[in-house]
This record gives sequence, structure tokens and C-alpha cells, in this order.
Amino acid sequence: MANWCMVIDLEKCVACQGCSVACRMENNTPVVSPDEAKNGRAIRWNDVFPLPVHIAPEQGEYPNVKTHYATRPCMHCENAPCVKTCPVQATYIDEEGIVRQNYDRCIGCRFCTVACPYGVRYFNWYAPQWEGSLENHLNPDELSVNGSLEGPAVRPVGVVEKCTYCVHRLVKARERAAAEGREFRADEYVPACVQTCTGKARYFGDLDDPDSTVSQLSKSLRATHLLEDSGAHPKTLYLAEG
Amino acid sequence: MTEKISRRDFLKLGGATAGAAAGLAALKNFYAAQASGGIKTAAEEKVVASTCHLCSAGCGILVRVADEKVVKLEGNPMHPVNQGALCPKGQAAPELLYNPDRLTSPMKRNRASGQWTPLKWTEAIQLTADKLSALREAGHPEEAVLMHGDTRGQMRSFLTRFMQAVGSPNVVSHESLNIAAAKLGVYLTQGMYGLPAYDLENANYVIAFGANLLEAGTNPQRTISGYTFLRRGRATRGKVVVIDPRQSITASKADEWIPIKPGTDAALALGMANVIIKSGLVDADFVKNYCFGFDNFVSNGERKGFRDFVLENYDPIRVEQITGVPSTTIARLAGEFAGNGPAVAMLPGKGGLLNGGFSGVYTAMAVHVLNALVGSIEKEGGVMTQRYMPCVEYPNMPSDSVSAKGLQTERIDGAGSKFPLGRNSYQSVADAILEGAPVEALFLYDTNPVFETPGGNRVAEAFAKVPFVVSFSSFMDESAELADLILPEPTFLERWGDDHVEGLGYPGISLYQPVIEPLYDTLNTGDFFIKVAEAMGGMVAKAFPWKSYEEVLQFRLKDIGADWELLKELGVWFNPGYRFAKRGSPQWIGSVVGAERLNSPRDGYFDLYSRELNCFVGKMKKDELANLGITMMGDGANLPHYEATAFAGDEAEYPFMLNVVTLMSLGPRSDAANMPTLQEISGMTVRETWDSWLEMNPEAARELGLAENDRVNVESQFGRVRTTVKLVAGLRPDVVNMPFNQGHTAVGRYAKGRGVNGLEIMNPASEPLTGLASFTNTRVKVTRN
Repeated sequence: MANWCMVIDLEKCVACQGCSVACRMENNTPVVSPDEAKNGRAIRWNDVFPLPVHIAPEQGEYPNVKTHYATRPCMHCENAPCVKTCPVQATYIDEEGIVRQNYDRCIGCRFCTVACPYGVRYFNWYAPQWEGSLENHLNPDELSVNGSLEGPAVRPVGVVEKCTYCVHRLVKARERAAAEGREFRADEYVPACVQTCTGKARYFGDLDDPDSTVSQLSKSLRATHLLEDSGAHPKTLYLAEG
Repeated sequence: MTEKISRRDFLKLGGATAGAAAGLAALKNFYAAQASGGIKTAAEEKVVASTCHLCSAGCGILVRVADEKVVKLEGNPMHPVNQGALCPKGQAAPELLYNPDRLTSPMKRNRASGQWTPLKWTEAIQLTADKLSALREAGHPEEAVLMHGDTRGQMRSFLTRFMQAVGSPNVVSHESLNIAAAKLGVYLTQGMYGLPAYDLENANYVIAFGANLLEAGTNPQRTISGYTFLRRGRATRGKVVVIDPRQSITASKADEWIPIKPGTDAALALGMANVIIKSGLVDADFVKNYCFGFDNFVSNGERKGFRDFVLENYDPIRVEQITGVPSTTIARLAGEFAGNGPAVAMLPGKGGLLNGGFSGVYTAMAVHVLNALVGSIEKEGGVMTQRYMPCVEYPNMPSDSVSAKGLQTERIDGAGSKFPLGRNSYQSVADAILEGAPVEALFLYDTNPVFETPGGNRVAEAFAKVPFVVSFSSFMDESAELADLILPEPTFLERWGDDHVEGLGYPGISLYQPVIEPLYDTLNTGDFFIKVAEAMGGMVAKAFPWKSYEEVLQFRLKDIGADWELLKELGVWFNPGYRFAKRGSPQWIGSVVGAERLNSPRDGYFDLYSRELNCFVGKMKKDELANLGITMMGDGANLPHYEATAFAGDEAEYPFMLNVVTLMSLGPRSDAANMPTLQEISGMTVRETWDSWLEMNPEAARELGLAENDRVNVESQFGRVRTTVKLVAGLRPDVVNMPFNQGHTAVGRYAKGRGVNGLEIMNPASEPLTGLASFTNTRVKVTRN
């Protein structure tokens, strides 16, 4: 079984936010109202922001200033606090190392959103809406596991949603390979953010395959994890600037 | 959908493109996966290759169409500009297509009541044809004016042909708002009117003068690809230096950020030239044998060459006083630039700080000349000359006396007359109308002048004086609101069109095709003008023998090397591989250096001393030069030099320079501001959303008692706007920034009323020599609201 992993080279990332929007269009995350967005309730499974995260208007003194930017999908932790804290097993780590969310099981308690050290879990405070004809662009894919919804079809109000490494694309790629009567190859599947990356800063593949790009990059001296000491054993890798 | 490329087509593609084409086919198959097992999806799917139109890059796209609905765009991996990538604007494009505020049919406005009523296309065509025929009968076809925006591919020449057939020279591009300064700088030195392509992949050292290459510009996706390859795609990593008063994302990603005093880039470039010359680091072969005017020369008396001029005037110590950049830094940059070739000095496209500033042309010349000094012209890792696909020439224009006479008249924008060097002066159309120039019919294509022009209020006043204004906008934008007719064009996902592949040097064509049937009662503007020509009859109709704009494209693109079906299948066709012309070769003289000079010799010499400029200003006296804003006398007026910016507003009263910056998210087009996802992500760098803001240096803000998120008035001589302060440490204390494309008063529900438009309070003046708009010479004061 593959162990899917994403590697993000922060030096090649140009903070364009293409990943954020690609994720939205692929996974049907709603646009919230401007007021909600100003209160930090925008739902972007993959977000881009300047560092440090806490608002610090003075990040050094002019002209000796350097702003850094980070882009952040789910870390798909190997010791995921969200999974441990979920009282109903709505969120779980599948056999291929992807932290998934079952929207039919989720009861909206939001323990996981608090437990997650990375703030990548989003609660649907309102029923998602697309004004007028905008709903035409929704991704029609609907992944279900044992009859329960796992997206990207629209999720109801009151559940927590998150980045799934676009797992529906994996299922589709496998089905395609099966229909064509051939072996599925790891490079047939990438999440939407990886595919669109303008700086080609994102890599995706099987971390357990020693020949894969991601496993090669994981040995780089620049390879690091976000909040490595969080105890969550985050899997998504970063290559530091410099 | 064609599932696979046939064997025959595959062979036709040839070696270089075949792999990419196979990849494309595989990707298409990937998307066409049908439902079974755990996935339910649409019943019918296809993928159509087309081109994005949300900025001027023209990236290739693969559009996933599920049950006749556009659900996702991906970058086309075969397209050389974006190589499979797609920026947030392109990703959000379905929000443009399915936008609830799109115009759904042609409409006519009653000026007295302001009421819009629907109109039939046949009526719109007849009304337009009648109006233009009446102008021709009156013998004044030049009173029809067409203003256009980023109109690329065949559409530009098509529109020009239509106006020529009618008899009007007045086709005005919006380039005076953005890229014309850089184009003119290259023209006056290298003798080619156009933005160069930069071979970033092979460059060792890149110095970007106000070129915001990772966020905005003419082709941001192309420069992002080049940049990331230069940094991490090859064994040795290149160095990037960014010269900009503001630490943009580009500057924060670069190795070095030089916070220069705004408007002094020319001095810095020439200070570097001074050191390069003094240290003997110039490419001697190039400056001696392929440049004009390096040494002093004799022509009607002693003339000063570039070398002596720069040595006398731009010592780093003096340049430090002008630019605020330490002389040691200047010397170091010069040494690095000349000693670590291939090196390239980049000019900004759109969104850079040279654009349309007073003296922007001399600045652009000074920057481009650096490339010549180190021999980076037409060299691997240096500057390339953009080449274009050969398009079949339009048939000869049938002529008649009316149009011949009309075409002889002076352009309304003053390009070539009032502004001797200018080729387009977009904002001056409004000034001319207000000064009484007769305009009877005005067409607005792909543009929103009321919003995007500094001091846009006067544009609105001017349009009110024109009896017949037609907008082709898909949205009710600020300019369309003032029109008499709105004849909405379908979005780029529903129409035919094309674009030149630019930024890589080699030629290519990228195709737009209707990926779904048009949603509303809209008409491609190309088709509209063909029908108008037909209705006008006579000579105008003869000039347009085509039945549709699609046919025009088929005609023009016949010889590019791919047939129409293949082009539709792949979405792009290009001739990869840029071959550098040998210095002094016939190809060099014919297409690299000097080939587009209109008045001076096309002899293959790169002008360090601009002979072309000499044709305009060489004989002028001091006061004449002063009227053009040039203070340098004699030979200096023909040489790249530093002109102090003439700011509107004195420093004591208005201490900050206002800079309006183009964002990666909202981009240059008004319709993008009405895409909700782009609004949501627009203020990422300052943690703002759905709003405008004012970036201030924290120290400067503290002196005024201002803190983060305080509401402030930003006031110039020309007006006042209110917005919110955001503290940005990476910013000069004497500069403030506002984002472009916020503050709409129209377009739609998502764009309207989001913050303010900084251009409203900008200097409305045009640069006298070139007709460029002024984006960099407005001073403002900031007070608590």
C-alpha cells in the first residue's frame, strides 16, 4: 500500500494562492460572506499566509526586513490529534496514510478543530450556498464509503470538513486503470493543488517508494515539518527556504 | 471528445511535441474517468483545450466539462507558458462564466431616463451600421473611435482593419497605462517596439527594476516558471535582486531587496553602468562593434557618447544621493551583474513602477542599456527578441476616398502629434473630448477606462459628451454604465479567439474555443463587426469577406504548421527552441536590433546614444525640451539619463508617494473583481479580505499616531479616499501602497463597494513626450478619519 505524501518547496512557492483556489473548485468549498471572511471564517482547506502567523506588524525594522510566506494543506499526521479526539470516528487514517473525514458520521462537536495544531479543519457554520448560476460549476464527483458521503459533493451545515489530498481523484484514477485492465501507477494521481502549482513547488507521491520524488526529497537537508514538536507526527513535508 | 490522438496525428506532431501530446491525451483520459464503485459523477464528460483570458499571459487551459457544465480548469501541460500550472485567476474562471451578474442580452439606454431596455442583435447591428455610414457620408469617419484593452491575438489587427475600412485611424490601445514605457525604452535603444523575452532559465544573475515578476506584469506565469527553474531547477542557482520601494512577494522571495527612492531607477542603472565602465567590465566586442554611441563621435560637431556622459554624471557617490542606495551597494551590484553572466536587467510589464511615470522612458532605456553593456542582448541567459507565428496577410484593403481622407487625419489621442513619441495615449482620448475634439461614436472593447485610468472621473464626463457609446463588456462595469448600447461578448470560455504565445522568444499560437454553448444571448465582437460591415455594404463589406470570426481565425492561422482540427485538439501550437541570431548576421539586422526603427537607420546597431530620439528632440531648444519635461540639454536628451520626477503635490504638504499595485489575485481586469473567490483571497499579504487598504511603514504610521486597522483619509491634490491602514515593515517610509482593482462602483455584487480605487486620486496628467499616463508621481497625505 502506498503512503501518500506531499512535499512543498517553500523556495519555489511564490505565494500566488493558485493552490487555494484549485482546492476550492475541486472540493466545492463555499465562499462565505465578506463579514464572515473578515472574522476568519473563510473555508480554504489549503491556505496561504504571511509568517509569522500571529499578527505582528513589526517583523523587523526597515530596511532589514524579510517577509516569509507559507502555504498549508492538511499535514495528514501519522499521530493525528483530530483522529484521536473524534468521539464518533468520523475522521480516520486510511490504509494509505490519508486523514479522511466521513461527513455522515460527523456530529459537528468540533473537538477536532480545537485539537488540530494546524487549524486545517473547518466547521460549516452555515449551509453552503452558491448564488444563482454559480452552483453550475460544482464538481459533480461524489465519493462514498459504505454509503456515507466523503465529498467532494457539497457537505451539509454542521459538519467539519478538511483537505483529503483529493482522495476522490485517487479512487477515480484506480477505477480508470481497472476499467482499462491495467495496473494503477502512482503518478496517475495528484491532488488539485499539486497539479496547478504555478511555481512547481509541490510534489506528491508514495513516501514508502524509495524511488519516488517525494521520498528522495524527504532526505533533503532542507526537509522539515511544520511544528515538528507538536507530537502529531505531521507527514506533509516542507523544504525550507535558503 | 476525441479520446486519443490518432497515429497519423501523432506522427505529424514530430519529436519535440509528441511526448507532451501523449501526456495531454493521458491527462484527458484521466479526466474522462467514468463513474463506478465508490464514485458517482456526471453522466457525460469531456475535456476541451483552450486559453485563459484573465491576464495578458494567455496560459493554456484544459477545461473539464461535465454534463455541459464547466466544473474545473487545469493548466495545459503542453502549453509552453504555464506548462500545466494555473494561477488563482484561471482556477476561479468558472466564477466568471457562471457569474450571477453577467449581462444576458444586448441593451439600449435611454439617456434621459437612464433606463436600459433589451434590444435585438439585428437592431444593434443596424443601429451601429447606420451610425458609421452616416459618419462616412458626412465625410468624417475619423469621428468613430475604438478604445481597447489587452486585446491580443488576431482580434487587435481585426479591429484595426475594421476601423481602417470605415476610415478612422483612432484605434487606441490601453498600453499607455502600462507596458508602453518599457516598449518605448527598448525601441529607442534596441530599435524593436515590444517587450523583450528574458531567458531566465539560463541566466545567472537577474536584476528586476520594478518588475514584479512573480505577481503581475505582462506574463507572470512565464516569469514564475523561469524564476523557479533558475532557483531550484538546475545545478547552480542564480541570484535575483529586486529594485522596488515596496517589498512585494517578488522582493521578499529574491536574494536581495533594494528599497529605492521611487522614480530614481534610471540613476541606479546608470550608476551601475558607471562602475561597469570604470572597472573595464563592459563586453568590449559588443559595445565597440554592435553599439552606436559608446564613444564620443562627430556628427554636426562633437557629440558626447554614452561612456563619457555616464562617467561624468553618474558617479556612485552622486547616485547614492539621488536613489538612497549606498554607493557600496551600487558598486557591488555592478560588479556582480557584470562578473556573473549571463546577467539580465529586467523591465517591468504591467504592474511595475516604471510604468507611465514621468521620465519612464529614459528609465526604461537606462535599464535596458545595462543588458547591452554586458553583451546580454540576444545571448543565452540574456535578452531574447519575441518572435511571432507568421499569420496569413489580410487581403488588400479596398480603398475609397472617404476612408483614405479619414485615415489621413490626426489621431484623437495625440499619439504622433501632441505626444511625438507616443503610439497610443489611452487616457488622452477623454482629455481630447473634453477639449472639444469631435467624437461621434465610441467603441469600448475589452476595457473599462472609467475605472482603470488615473483620475477616471473626467473619463466619465467625456463619455457623456459622445452621442453614441458602445460597450462590448460582459458585465455592467463603470464604463458600460455610461454607454448607449451594451453588446455583451461571451466570456472567453464561450467564444473563438486566439493569442500569441509570448515570453519565451519562440513563436506560438494559443486558441480560445467555445468549451460550452454560450449561456446567454451574447455575440463575439468579431462576429458583430463582420455583420456591421455587411450591413454597411460597399467598400466596408468588401473588406470583410468572412462569414464569422472563426473563419477569420482559420484564414489567418492557415500557415502556422498545424491544421485547424489539430489546433482545436491541442489548444496550442508552437515552434519550440529559440535560436539566437549571430551578432551582425542578416537575421540580427533583420529581426533583432534596429529592425523596427521608423526614422533612424536600421543598421543592426544597438543605440546607447539614441538616434531615434535625436530625430524627435535633437533640434529642440531648451524651452521646447522643458515643455516635454526634459531638463537634460544637448546630447544628454538623446542618452538614457535620470530626470527628477515632477511630483504632483509638494513634499511638505503631501509627504507620501502613492503607489497602486496590481495583485496576483485580482489581476488587471475589472471583471475579475466580481469573482467572489478572488475577492476572498485578495488581501492575503496584509490579512485583509473583500476590501482595499493602505500599506504604510510602521514607523511612518507611528509618527502620525496611526495603528493597524485605523481608518484614514488618503488625500492628494486631486481628491480624497478613505480606507484602512495596514502596517507593512517592508516598505519605504515615504511611500504608501493601495491595491488595484478594488473600489468598483459597478461591475456586480461582489465587486461593487469593496473599498476604494486609489486611481481616483492619481494625477490625471499625461507625459508630454510619450502620452503615457502617470502612475508614479502623485503625492498624498494620510490623516486619521
